[in-house]
Amino acid sequence: MSAFAAIGKSARRVEGREKVTGTATYVADVHPRGAACARLVLSPYAHARIKSVELSAALQVPGVIAAFSGKDIGGAEILAIDEVYFAGEAVAVVVGETEAAAEDGADAVQVDYEPLPVVSDPIAAMKPDSPLTRAAQGESHDDAGAHGAAVGGAGTGRPKPRNVNQMVEFQRGDLAKGFAEADVVLEDTYRVARVHQGYMETQGSVAERAPGGGFTVWTTTQAAFGARDETAKFLGIPAHEVNVIPTQVGGGFGGKFVLVEPLAAALARRVRRPVRVILDRTQDFLVSHPAPGAVIRMKMGAKKDGTLTALEAELVFDAGCAPGAPTGIAALLLGGTYRCPNLDIVGYEVLTHKVSPGAYRAPGAPQAYYALESHMSRLADQLGLDPIEFRLKNAAKEGDIRPDGRPWPRIGLIECLEAARAHPMWRDRKKLGADEGVGVAVGGWGGGTEPATGGCRVNPDGSLTVQVGSVDITGVNTTFALIAAEVFGLPVEQVQIATNDTDHAPYAGASGGSKTTYTVGAAVLAAAQEARSQVIEMAADRLEAAPSDLDIADGRVFVKGAPNRGVTIGELARLANRFGSRYKPLHGQGRAAVHTASPGFAVQLCQTKVDRGSGMPRITGYVAVQDVGRALNPAEVIGQIRGGAVQGIGRALFEAMEHDEGGQLANATLADYTMPTAADIPDIEVVLIEVPSELGPFGAKGVGEPPAVPGAAAVVNAVEAAVGVRVKNVPIKPEVILDALEEGGKR
Amino acid sequence: MAKEKTIRVKVNGSERRATVEVRRNLADFLREDLELTGTHLGCEHGVCGACTVLVDGEAVRSCLMLAVQAEGHEVTTVEGLTTPDGEPGPLQQAFWDNHGMQCGFCTPGMICATAALLRENPHPTAEQIRERLSGNLCRCTGYQDIIASVLAAAAEDK
Repeated sequence: MSAFAAIGKSARRVEGREKVTGTATYVADVHPRGAACARLVLSPYAHARIKSVELSAALQVPGVIAAFSGKDIGGAEILAIDEVYFAGEAVAVVVGETEAAAEDGADAVQVDYEPLPVVSDPIAAMKPDSPLTRAAQGESHDDAGAHGAAVGGAGTGRPKPRNVNQMVEFQRGDLAKGFAEADVVLEDTYRVARVHQGYMETQGSVAERAPGGGFTVWTTTQAAFGARDETAKFLGIPAHEVNVIPTQVGGGFGGKFVLVEPLAAALARRVRRPVRVILDRTQDFLVSHPAPGAVIRMKMGAKKDGTLTALEAELVFDAGCAPGAPTGIAALLLGGTYRCPNLDIVGYEVLTHKVSPGAYRAPGAPQAYYALESHMSRLADQLGLDPIEFRLKNAAKEGDIRPDGRPWPRIGLIECLEAARAHPMWRDRKKLGADEGVGVAVGGWGGGTEPATGGCRVNPDGSLTVQVGSVDITGVNTTFALIAAEVFGLPVEQVQIATNDTDHAPYAGASGGSKTTYTVGAAVLAAAQEARSQVIEMAADRLEAAPSDLDIADGRVFVKGAPNRGVTIGELARLANRFGSRYKPLHGQGRAAVHTASPGFAVQLCQTKVDRGSGMPRITGYVAVQDVGRALNPAEVIGQIRGGAVQGIGRALFEAMEHDEGGQLANATLADYTMPTAADIPDIEVVLIEVPSELGPFGAKGVGEPPAVPGAAAVVNAVEAAVGVRVKNVPIKPEVILDALEEGGKR
Repeated sequence: MAKEKTIRVKVNGSERRATVEVRRNLADFLREDLELTGTHLGCEHGVCGACTVLVDGEAVRSCLMLAVQAEGHEVTTVEGLTTPDGEPGPLQQAFWDNHGMQCGFCTPGMICATAALLRENPHPTAEQIRERLSGNLCRCTGYQDIIASVLAAAAEDK
């Protein structure tokens, strides 16, 4: 089917050699000459006043160079000054000749705290007598109703409860009428745990003063330019005085934007030496920004024929100690995936004494779809309908209106559901043995956009160098190589990708939101096309032919119909890169501002067998269907989808950051925070659906987020299919299943 | 304060002599003292497996072993599994060709664990591989392409 030379053929990673031989540079591998090491001192209290920070004992420790409190370093963004708002908030930092010296010094710092009231649970935080959290302090809640504070949709004058930062509300139609029309109404509440991105490389940055002024910062970030801007802002210097050199990112998944870059640079300024700030795993668990937990109450009504009549939902997102939880995204996806004439959705972003969440693969979507897709399967069951047919009957398609009034563009939700319905795992699910069943769930992501630039240089050896400012987190560099190779008809090995530092790179935004191939890829495509035009133009001059009569193949420009008349691309580049040459160098620049997103949908089937002895579900088969627009590099697309699916399974079976009432994180190690291993996971069959996007390069859509979304509901729905037990909270506690089995059935 | 000891260890075929603090773990010795940064530290408490190296051919978590315990032993890191001229060795090539890595952070540990596995069992089944590599966490791939890489490497090695 493919008329493409490179696109659609699986290419191995352009950076594979360095990764398999151990020569790739991650941030912890960066050791500037004379580098010192820094160690954070973290608060043991979730909420306390800092009465004093005593550094003198730390300064006595052999090998300690310096120690700073928040007051000394100036800026509560990186070290707390008067008050701490979560357990693990940094209050001081010690710099030593070695990691060990810094650690010994940090242990010797004495901080005097006055503990203050703590609220750790978001539902408790909304009660009128709850302790107040940071952002809520100083704000009167007596007249909270007057705030309205709805983002999107018309506010209904619902009062804003205590410790709620932001409310989102979406209404449509007449909810009471919708429920009155329903033959079945189902209401229940679902809980999704706070989880960590679980990247294998912990966060860290290394900074030094640059010889010409300013600072150089090596860091593991998905957003080199973002890290530059934040660091410069903190230091109070112009952005161009900070050069961020992005190292290989050992997994990000949304968790690596900006964390310790400003601190590392501030320390390098103060101690006049390069400084390494590399977090250990426990510190990473405590200070980085995970995915928020959520409590979602759902009430839905449907007619006997499966038509949805009403959807009411209340979402509570635990935003920790600072605003920024993805409540609005969750509400839009929850209310927009299926057509429903009558809606009332309210989302509360609740502040508590925990670290504030950040992005993790489709922020807000796994929570929303866990509740929605649990509820959809249960409704189908009560209506006596096939769960996929029920979803297909209501699934949104192009032109259907989302809760915020925007119509969906062309989406592939229906195609994904149809592919799942046709899969043997689904067709044959009734033939399974005892205690085994198949569950289905949908997940979606709106897709992100951001302007980007790219460069494409033609080299005298006939190869291409593509220059980008985006960080490679998921094989996007290999995809860029394929795009440029496609434009020139070259083998992908003839394209190098230069991920440049912020001093030298063409601008690109963060690698995240499933937008890197979609937007930076579009800039690379434009750059390669411009370079190709330059090559054709120069060849036309050399060959004394019209540009329209020329073609390129195998690294050579030739006259159509007279293939002997030609010149290699390398020869053209040599001529243009020569002293006294009359030709301009061959160098294409491409810019893109794709600002219409292409939403992506996934449908997953989970087959599970529940062990009646332990209550533990074992995943015995898994199918991941996804509309990817066009798979530019199928092997990497499939690999990314499998990895996402396993993260969803992790949410279902294992993962939860467990805080006690005092706000202490009880499981801040990889021994206690359990993630899926190779032995927990079966082979995952990926089914690619290609509904091309209008604007992505060659029709590509973002791939990264959707596969991480449906897993939790797919697993839980499979458990119900297997043993008739409905799990409401994830991760699944096997004892909950066991108890229900002992009670003899559904609960 | 910190006690030191001089050790002799054969690392990737070369005899190395070094004076180390007795509390220094093998991972830090390899990474900091010998500048073999291919061995990665993901947790420093023996769970993630990223720091796996071979000690006398056996897979060992280098974050849980002290450098002084390696005295007189033979240590192989991911850098030691290349061809003599530094090109990817057969196992490394199999991981590259079969998409057995994404972010690459777990990869050196996976490759070392695989080397130990194939030494004991040159033709493992997929299930045996999953069991044996269950001590090495990967967050990117969902493991399947890693399993495929190991099977491909085993098939090459007739």
